[in-house]
Amino acid sequence: MKALTWHGKEDVRVEDVPRPSLVNPSDAIIEVTATAICGSDLHLYHDRVPSMQKGDILGHEPMGEVVEVGSDVETLEIGDRVVVPFTISCGACWFCEEELYSLCDNSNPNAELARSMMGHSPAGLYGYSHMMGGYAGSQAEYLRVPYADVGPITIESDLPDEQVLLLSDVFPTGYMAAENADIEADDTVAVWGCGAVGQFAIQSARMLGAERVIAIDRFDERLDMAREHGDAETINYEETDVYDRLMEMTGGRGPDRCIDAVGTDAHGTGVVAASDRVKQRLKLEDDRPYVLREAIKCCRKGGTLSVPGAYVGRVDNLPFGAVMNKGLTIKTGQTHVQRYLEPLLNRIEAGDVDPSFVLTHEAPLEDGPEMYRTFNDKADGCIKTILRP
Amino acid sequence: MATQDTTRDRQPGDAQQPDRAESGDGRGRLRRAITLLIGGVLVVRGLRRRSLRGLVMALAGGVVLGRALGVSPSRSDSESATPMGAGESTEVTRSITIGEPAQDLYEAWRDPETMSKIMGHFADVQPQSEDRLQWTVQGPRGWDASWETRIVDEQPGESIVWRSPADAMVPNEGEVRFSDAPGDRGTEVTLTISFDPPGGSVGSAAARRLDLVPEAIAGKALSRFKSLVESGEIPSLDENPSARGSGDLV
Ligand SMILES: [Zn+2]
Ligand SMILES: [Zn+2]
Repeated sequence: MKALTWHGKEDVRVEDVPRPSLVNPSDAIIEVTATAICGSDLHLYHDRVPSMQKGDILGHEPMGEVVEVGSDVETLEIGDRVVVPFTISCGACWFCEEELYSLCDNSNPNAELARSMMGHSPAGLYGYSHMMGGYAGSQAEYLRVPYADVGPITIESDLPDEQVLLLSDVFPTGYMAAENADIEADDTVAVWGCGAVGQFAIQSARMLGAERVIAIDRFDERLDMAREHGDAETINYEETDVYDRLMEMTGGRGPDRCIDAVGTDAHGTGVVAASDRVKQRLKLEDDRPYVLREAIKCCRKGGTLSVPGAYVGRVDNLPFGAVMNKGLTIKTGQTHVQRYLEPLLNRIEAGDVDPSFVLTHEAPLEDGPEMYRTFNDKADGCIKTILRP
Repeated sequence: MATQDTTRDRQPGDAQQPDRAESGDGRGRLRRAITLLIGGVLVVRGLRRRSLRGLVMALAGGVVLGRALGVSPSRSDSESATPMGAGESTEVTRSITIGEPAQDLYEAWRDPETMSKIMGHFADVQPQSEDRLQWTVQGPRGWDASWETRIVDEQPGESIVWRSPADAMVPNEGEVRFSDAPGDRGTEVTLTISFDPPGGSVGSAAARRLDLVPEAIAGKALSRFKSLVESGEIPSLDENPSARGSGDLV
């Protein structure tokens, strides 16, 4: 089959690879009909994530048609149309029972490796390094889905792919980010990063009752989208000092809730950001926590900092004294996607939300490498791309 | 997964034991050969499988080999101060919490089929009788290491202890304990594996430094056991596709 594979920094290719097959009794195989490129795929594209191997298949935001089911699968049948969450979860461990699906104890075959790096292993993920499970990704014609009764949600209605595909990651991720922010009435929520996750965090903050949402980015088309679809006020950080502007907008209190929807590849401006880039290149620092630092500085005393953006390792110069002395709460984690699938699908079906507004590009899988480049360069107003295998 | 581990060197009996291993008696040489064998097995198996798991295995094997060959630095100053070949054994203890009752876990552990599944990453395990298992580690060029273990003590629902004969090719013993975890968390399972236990033959300096291997075995065996009893299967990358082919390949 054809698949998009990783070969190093800014080197992805479309190649012929073997077709996956059923391995365990709870597996299913889906024929992928649509799969998106994620902002977190760019962390892989920049070779920021340890334990990638040349030839790994990328992708973790799939939907498709079930073509094979293992002997233990009860809820899926051949021909079902499903969206598959990026978190692989067994459904049986303590974490899964607590609905902390991204912390599943059993789904990472390389748990010992993750344990050696992080102390404990989180759930396995599709196409996101060997430390995170080593499972082949979804930017391919077929995908093996372990624990098929636990992840995939069947789409009974005739909603188009564009409206349901983003349940696989970015819509639930933005939603959980807003939920983690503990938003209360009259709150002002600031969101750093207006990619797909940021857009859904903005929408979800509104759904959860935020009084005001302030969107921060440097690309006009993203800020326009935040204004238009999320009714957000905006700050372009290349034009304005974010701290000064936020204080001005909030009477000096700072935003009550801050969401870092950027993660490890924060761009940033100025000397400290430049020094982060150098340190990261020299492997002295794994992540560039520019947004994290700024959000800590800006957040209201006693406020909440929610971090859906992906980080991979160590960060430098994190002002933890400010976190402590300002009494901030930090909440983070990979998304417990399975928890949100049904409620968010219901909202889509009810017409409350149409997630397709973030989709700017669509291309056949063969054009994947070009679409990664476009997305990476933020060229052509690219925010979210669907690949069609 | 709530886990903890402790690795410690144990000094059985009198620390002043004569340094037989280093003096090159036959048994010392044999033990050294076995250490090299296990190190070599791990390296070869690891590299042959070309998997990341294999890579970890190869690394562990490499360290064992390196230590046996005296080419790798010892782990700490305090350790290098220990007299070489003082006849210590190394043991590793790892714990994991499993969401099932202790009695069920005890019964599952007692089932030879479970053993063969959860130790499959390391050894072929075949039942010989109710209480005895035959372990075989395949080495390079058909050079196998094989030993038998027998259950020497068990408390149903609480613990199982097994041991190889003192003159086994790889003298070792193991113990698994089951105790209730707080609230609804199930059972805390603690596995201890030791090579060259007290009463066994005196190990060489190399053999006493085998600790990385039992650590890898114990950690993997416990997480495989947990996955099997909780979810009914062990997570697998068999036939995992990539541009490198089909399987758990690096
Ligand atoms: Zn994603
Ligand atoms: Zn689980």
